[in-house]
Amino acid sequence: MATEAAPMDEKAKRMRDLLSSFYTPDPSISTPTSSISTSFDNINGPSFDADQYMDLMIKKSNLDVLLQRHVQMAAEIKNLDTDLQMLVYENYNKFISATDTIKRMKSNIFGMEGNMDQLLHKIMSVQSRSDGVNTSLFEKREHIEKLHRTRNLLRKVQFIYDLPARLQKCIKSEAYGDAVRFYTGAMPILKVYGDTSFKDCRRASEEAIETIIKNLQTKLFSDSESIQARAEAAVLLKQLDVPVDSLKDKLLEKLEQSLDGLQINPDEASKLAEHNVSSKDEESNNQGPAKIHEDAVRGFSEAMRAYREIFPDSEERLFKLARALTTTHFENMELYIRKRVSAADFLGIFRIIWEDVVLMDEVLPEAALSDLSAEAAQVTLKQFVARTFSHLQQDISDTLLKFDINQKEVVDGEVLKVVLEASGKAVLQGTTDIFQEFRQLLDENTGIFVKMNDLLIGWIQKGFQDFFRSLESHFLVLSGKTSSSNETEGLVEGKSSEKIHAGLILVLAQLSVVIEQKVIPRIAEEITASFSGGNSQAFIPGELCRVFHAASEKLLQHYIDTRTQKISNVLRKRFKTPNWVKHKEPREVHMYVDMLLQQLEEVGKEVKQILPQGTFRKHKRSDSNGSNTTTSSRSTTLHSDKMARSNSQRARSQLFETHLAKLFKQKVEIFTKVEFTQESVVTTTVKLCLKSLQEYVRLQTFNRSGFQQIQLDIQFLKAPLKETVEDEAAIDFLLDEVIVAASERCLDVTPLEPPILDKLIQAKLAKSKEHNNNNNKTTVSS
Amino acid sequence: AQARMQGGSSGIGYGLKYQARCISDVKADTDYTSFLAGTLSLKEENEVHLLRLSSGGSELICEGLFSHPNEIWDLASCPFDQRIFSTVFSTGESFGAAIWQIPELYGQLNSPQLERVASLDAHVGKINCVLWWPSGRCDKLISMDEQNIFLWSLDCSNKSAEVLSKDSAGMLHSLSGGAWDPHDVNAVAATGESSVQFWDLRTMKYGISVDLLCSQKVNSIERAHVRGVDYNPKREHILITAEDESGIHVWDLRKAKAPVQELPGHTHWTWAVKCNPEYDGLILSAGTDSAVNLWYASASSTNNKAPESPVESTRERVNLLLNSYTDYEDSVYGLAWSSREPWVFASLSYDGRVVIESVKPFLPRL
Repeated sequence: MATEAAPMDEKAKRMRDLLSSFYTPDPSISTPTSSISTSFDNINGPSFDADQYMDLMIKKSNLDVLLQRHVQMAAEIKNLDTDLQMLVYENYNKFISATDTIKRMKSNIFGMEGNMDQLLHKIMSVQSRSDGVNTSLFEKREHIEKLHRTRNLLRKVQFIYDLPARLQKCIKSEAYGDAVRFYTGAMPILKVYGDTSFKDCRRASEEAIETIIKNLQTKLFSDSESIQARAEAAVLLKQLDVPVDSLKDKLLEKLEQSLDGLQINPDEASKLAEHNVSSKDEESNNQGPAKIHEDAVRGFSEAMRAYREIFPDSEERLFKLARALTTTHFENMELYIRKRVSAADFLGIFRIIWEDVVLMDEVLPEAALSDLSAEAAQVTLKQFVARTFSHLQQDISDTLLKFDINQKEVVDGEVLKVVLEASGKAVLQGTTDIFQEFRQLLDENTGIFVKMNDLLIGWIQKGFQDFFRSLESHFLVLSGKTSSSNETEGLVEGKSSEKIHAGLILVLAQLSVVIEQKVIPRIAEEITASFSGGNSQAFIPGELCRVFHAASEKLLQHYIDTRTQKISNVLRKRFKTPNWVKHKEPREVHMYVDMLLQQLEEVGKEVKQILPQGTFRKHKRSDSNGSNTTTSSRSTTLHSDKMARSNSQRARSQLFETHLAKLFKQKVEIFTKVEFTQESVVTTTVKLCLKSLQEYVRLQTFNRSGFQQIQLDIQFLKAPLKETVEDEAAIDFLLDEVIVAASERCLDVTPLEPPILDKLIQAKLAKSKEHNNNNNKTTVSS
Repeated sequence: AQARMQGGSSGIGYGLKYQARCISDVKADTDYTSFLAGTLSLKEENEVHLLRLSSGGSELICEGLFSHPNEIWDLASCPFDQRIFSTVFSTGESFGAAIWQIPELYGQLNSPQLERVASLDAHVGKINCVLWWPSGRCDKLISMDEQNIFLWSLDCSNKSAEVLSKDSAGMLHSLSGGAWDPHDVNAVAATGESSVQFWDLRTMKYGISVDLLCSQKVNSIERAHVRGVDYNPKREHILITAEDESGIHVWDLRKAKAPVQELPGHTHWTWAVKCNPEYDGLILSAGTDSAVNLWYASASSTNNKAPESPVESTRERVNLLLNSYTDYEDSVYGLAWSSREPWVFASLSYDGRVVIESVKPFLPRL
C-alpha cells in the first residue's frame, strides 16, 4: 500500500502544483519543488517545447516505451480534464451563494433613515434645556464661592487668635511637634500682619514658642531622654530656625572629652587584659575593669548613634571621633607591648579593642573603622611579633652576660659550663615558648585575626628567620668579632676585644653549634608541623644552619685568636726585653714558660667545660715524666751534635742541611682545620703559639748564651706540651723549628751540654713541684 | 738561574742563596719588570739580586748579583732612578741604613760592587725601614726606628744625605714600619705595637721638626700588633693594615673609629699587605702560614656595606678571597706588586725563594 501511495501522492501533488500555477500567472512564484528540473523534458515547465520533447523521446526510447508513455499520457490528460471540470463547478456554486447574500443586505438597510432623524432631534432639545439651567444658577454659585472664601479667611484669623492658647495647650501636653507645626503654619500671616492687626497675638505666641524652644533644648541636652525624643527635639528646633550648630558643637565637644576616659591606659592594660581573660571564663565576674570599659564604650557609641540621628550633618565629625578612638587604642597598644607582654595579655587587649571597634562600627559603618583597625592591627601584630623576638634575644643575651665570667674561678670552676647550659636552655626553651605564644595568636578566632592568619604565619616565619640572623650577628658583636657601630653606635664600642673574656667567645661558639644542630631543626619541625598548608617560605632552616655553622667556626677561630693573642703578648714581652746579643749564660728556665703553660692550661680547662672530647685520644704514655725528659734530651743531643758540627763547618751547609732535613721529614701539617673538640682546639692553640715563638725568634739575633737560653726553654716545654696535645709529631716539629730558627739567628751556635740542660730542667721541675705543693697546702689550709 | 715551580702553580721561581725577607719592585725601570731582593744571613756574605722578568713573562733572569756588607732587613728601590735603592741592615749588634747605587756597567764587571751613595749614619737606633718620597723625582727620604722618625734630603750627585728634621714618638711607642701617603705627601703612617700613628711632615716646611698630627685627622688607630700598612694608591684616605692575629683591615681615615672592611687574613700572622698600584681593591697579603692571599675588597662593598642583606654580604665575604697561593715552604715576608705590569707580583719566602705570579686568572670582572 505504501508503495502505491507514494506515486499517488506524487500525482496529486503535481496536480495541485499545476492548478496553483494556473491561478498564479507569474511562474517564478511557483513552488520550488515543482521546478526541480526545469529542463526541456519537464513537461510541466514553462519552457517546455513539445517538438523537442517528442524528438528526444523518439530518439531515446524504443516503441514499447513510447507506447507505454502514450497510454500514460492519455490517462493523465483525461484526469486533468475531469479535475478542471470539477473546479469550474465548485466555483460556480460559490458565485451563486454570494449573489444571494448581496440581495438580502439591500432589503435590510431600507428602514433605518427615519430612526436616525428622530435621535438627532432629541439630542438638540436636551442641550437647550441644560443651557437654561446653567444660566439660572450662575449667580447663586458665585455667591456661595465668595462665602466659602470668607469663611476660610475667618477660620485662619480665628486660628491666629487661638494660637497662643493652642500653643500653651501643647506645652502642657508636651505636644511640641503640633505646636511647632501650628506656629510655622501661622508664621506667614504673622510675618505680614504681625505688626498691625495681630500684634498681641504674635507676642503671646512668640512667648509660648520661647518656652517651647527652652523646653526642647533642655530635652536635647538631657541624657535621660530617649534618643528618639532628643532627635525630635533637635528636628523641631531646627524647624524653628534655632541655630542648632552651636548646640551640636557643644555636644560633640562633650563627646570628645569623654574619649579620654575610654582610652586603654598602657600601664593598666595588663590588669584589663587579665580581667578580660578571666571574665571570659566565669560570667559572674562582671564588674571587672574590662566590663566597665565595655560599658563606657557602649555608652559612647550609643551617644554617637544619637548624635548621628540628631545631627545628620555631623557624621564627618563622628567618624573622626570614632577613628581617633580606634587609633588611640592601637597607639596605646603599641606602648603597651613595648614592655614584655604575653600573647594571652596581648590577645586580651586586642579583643577589647576589637569589641570597641565592632560597637562603634555598628553605629558608624561608613567610618570604615574595621578597615582602619585592620590596618592598625596588622602593624601592631607585626610589631608584637617583632618585639617578642627582640625580647627573646635580650633574654638570651642576659643569660650569657649574667655570670661574671671575668672572675678568677671561671677557669677552674664550672662557670662556663653553667653559662653554656643556661644560655642553651634559654635559646631552646625560649624559641619553643615563643612558638607556643604565636600558636595562641593563630588559634584566636576574633574576626580580624582570622583574616590576618596568613600574614601572621608569614611574619612568624620571617620573624624566626630574622631572629636567628640577628642572634648570629649579636653573637659576633658579643664576642667582639664585629663592632656594632652600625646599629647602636657607641654602645658596645667601648668594649674592646681584650675586655671580652675568651671563655664567653667559646661559649658563643658552642652555643652556635647547639643552635645549628638542635634549635633550628626543632623550630623547622614545629613550623612545618603547624603551617604545612602555608606557602610562605620565609623561614629557611638550611640557610640558617649554614649561617650558624659559619658563625660557630668563626667564633671558635676567634676564641683561638684571642687566646693566642694573649700568649703572643707574653712572648712579645719576653723577646723584646732582653738584649739577646749580650745575653748572659742561662741559669734557669725562664719564667715566661710558666706563663705560657698557664695560659695553655686555662685554654684546656675552658674547652673541657664547653667542648666534647674528640674521638681520637692519644695513648697516655706509661713511662714517667723523668725518663721522658731524658729521652727527649737525648734526641736533642743528636740534634746539638749536628749543629755543633755544622758550626765548625760553613754555616751555609748547615742551612742546606736543615733544608734537606725538611725535605725528607714528612711535611707536617701545621695548620689543620679546627674541630669542635677539646683536643683540636688545644692542639691548634699550641701550634699557633709555637709558630709565633718561632717568628719572634727569627726577629732577634742571639749570642751563644741567648741561643742556649732558648734551647733550655724549649727543651723544658717539650714534655708538658706533648702532654696536652694530640698531634705530638707536629709539636716536635715546631719545637725543633724554634731551635733551628734560633740557631740560624745565632752568632755562635754552641748548644748547652746535655748534663747541664738536664740539671737545669730538673731544677725547674723541682721548683714548680714545690710551688704546686705550696699552693695545694694553702688551698687545703684555707 | 731560573726555574719553573713544580705542581699546579703557575709561578716562576728563583732561589736566593740564603734566607731572605725583602723584595722590592724596581719602579723606575720602565723597560722591564724587575725586582730587587736582598738576603738575610748573619754569617755569610749577603747579596742583592736584581731580577728581571723576561719579556714573555716565562723566565726570571738574574740581571745582577751584588754583595752587600750586612744582612738586609729592609730594601726599597728608588722610585725615580732604577739604579738606586736603600737598605736597612744589621751587623747583629747594631742597625744601619744606606743608599746604594748599582754600577753602570755591572754586566761586564767580574764582581760588581755596589756604590754607596750615602749612609744614613746620623740615625742611630734599631732602624726598621727607609721610605722614599711616594711619587715623582724628589730627594726626600724617611728613616724610622722604634722611637724616631728622621726626614732626610738626599743629594745623589754629592753622595750625601742630610737630616732635615727628626722627631721622637717617645719611649712608649715601638714603631715597626710605615708607609708614605701617595695622596698627601705630608702624611706618613707608622705602625706601632698598639696603634698606627699618623705623622704630619707639613711643619717641616717651616723648618720645625716633624710633629705628631693631633688635630684635623686621626693621629692614631688603636690596633694591636700591626705588622704591615699600605695606602691605597687609587683611593684617597683608604689604608689597609695587616695584624698578627686579627687579619687585614681596611680603614677610611675620615672615619677611623672602626674599619670599613675586615678580611680574615692568614691562618697564622698576616705579615704584609700591598694594594695593587693599578686596580683598586686588589690586595695581596703575605703570611707566616706560608701563603700569599689575593683579596678583592671592592670599593662599592666598602662604601655601601650596610644596606646589603646578610646573605649577600656572607657570599661576598667568601668571594673576597680570590686566590690563595700556598706553594711556599716557609713564612712569606717579602711581597711586591710590579708597577709596570700591575697584574704581576713577586713574593719572597724566608727560605730565599722568590716566586713571581700573575693574578690575571683570578681577577674578577672589574
